Amino acid sequence: MLEQRVREYLTVTLGVPDVAISGLYRIPGGASRETWSVDARWLDNGREVSRGFIFRRDPDASLLVTDRDVEFRVMKAVAAYGIPVPRMHWLETDGAWLDRPFFVMERIDGCETSPTKVLMDPRFFPGRDRLAGEFVDILARIHALDWRAAGLEFLGPPAGESDCALTEIEKWEAVVDRDALEPQPVLRAAFRWLRRSLPAPAQRIVLVHADYRTGNFLCTPEGEIKGVLDWEMTHLGDPLEDVAWACIRPWRWLGDEKIGGLMDRGDFYRRYAEATSIEANEDAVRFWEVLGNVKLAAIFITGARSFCDGRTRSPMMAFLGRNIARLEVEIMDLMEV
Amino acid sequence: MRPDGLESIRAVQSALAELIAPELSSPFAQDAAQTLQMLLESLAAVWDSAADELRRDNQSLAGLLMSSREAIKSASDSNESFASAVSEIEQRLSEDVGDSIAIAALSSRNDALRRTLEHTLMAFEDLTGEPPSAEITSVRGDIYGHLRDVATRGWSFWDVSSFRRRMTGIHQTTTSRDDAP
Repeated sequence: MLEQRVREYLTVTLGVPDVAISGLYRIPGGASRETWSVDARWLDNGREVSRGFIFRRDPDASLLVTDRDVEFRVMKAVAAYGIPVPRMHWLETDGAWLDRPFFVMERIDGCETSPTKVLMDPRFFPGRDRLAGEFVDILARIHALDWRAAGLEFLGPPAGESDCALTEIEKWEAVVDRDALEPQPVLRAAFRWLRRSLPAPAQRIVLVHADYRTGNFLCTPEGEIKGVLDWEMTHLGDPLEDVAWACIRPWRWLGDEKIGGLMDRGDFYRRYAEATSIEANEDAVRFWEVLGNVKLAAIFITGARSFCDGRTRSPMMAFLGRNIARLEVEIMDLMEV
Repeated sequence: MRPDGLESIRAVQSALAELIAPELSSPFAQDAAQTLQMLLESLAAVWDSAADELRRDNQSLAGLLMSSREAIKSASDSNESFASAVSEIEQRLSEDVGDSIAIAALSSRNDALRRTLEHTLMAFEDLTGEPPSAEITSVRGDIYGHLRDVATRGWSFWDVSSFRRRMTGIHQTTTSRDDAP
């Protein structure tokens, strides 16, 4: 059924007499949107064309309530500035074709996203140093991007450099207010702590990816990052928000202190500062790490709410919703309470 | 009754791993099966202890609320939040909660006590100006100690999947190989 509708969509959108499709399957992960892969073949002036596409479809319910238009427009815009992202093809904002809105992008083959593969598979070990370097360099490029020139002012810049932190506190506090199903004393205390511990104003206002971490890029065994994914939370703000998000314990993966499972914290800060002239001030990063853990807890709470309200039967939503406790430990450790 | 709840969960996990998962061809379904395993494991971990832990947590929460009330009453400076906290604590502690040990009843009581604890802790956190009294500082520390004890019992998604343990094992193997002369 879905296969037939995807075929019809591609036939009409590509403007060709017929498209043959195969290998349609749902890719695991992508808890905020459904991700489907498909191979398509068609004739273009008698020449056979073969291409892989990724469909990102809005879910019935999600960990995040985000606008797919934003993700589509930002990924399209940053590609022109040397940020590796899959090429964006089409955005469909209604459910006429596939019941729910979706967008279609290029499939980049020969890469992995899973931290299990990227960090555990021996094939990826020789590329680890290169990967660490690319991880920092691409983040630096995102932060160096002239977002006005790129047409990203629609994201709504904070009023000033000193407003970035408060804007994010308010955003995630509102999510907890809206979705929490039970008392959240640690998160409530964390919001108090965050308001008391506001960092120095952002050194500059940049495009923040907001989910930049191991697991959200496509990379080769040689350590080349060919696509940065999952831009649904992107916004304009403080670059250290991304730096700290990459540092939080859930994304360290290897059970040690290596950032993203890739490099020591000091190396990460140093490489980043060399590439951007932005210093990763310890107090500011600590602030943003507390906020990062709070944000992740808030995202899980949204998933739990979706599950308990019956909007999804996803076991992942149930599982994550039941497991914010260790984030609370991390938050209390960082707050030193 | 045998098999009991825990044994039944283990049976479901075994069937999922040995009978169902190998038949799944789609990566998405395989991933969902693995998530189900983690969800079942998190249930199995608390199956036997949940009621007892809730009962003890509720006792501990009630104790913390009593200590908070005394600390607030002994504080030299009072404020609206403190007065409201004392009032809420007294109302909460005076509730007739019955003696049911059904998990739903214990959870409901736990929610109510935690909500009052949350409000009380926020009253402490909102203190400005003079440092809080020694009593308030002490009970505030005890509250965080309790919250930490409860949270430490929980699982993290990066532990549960055994992913982290597996990775640590491989990492250690790699490190020792790298360290070899």
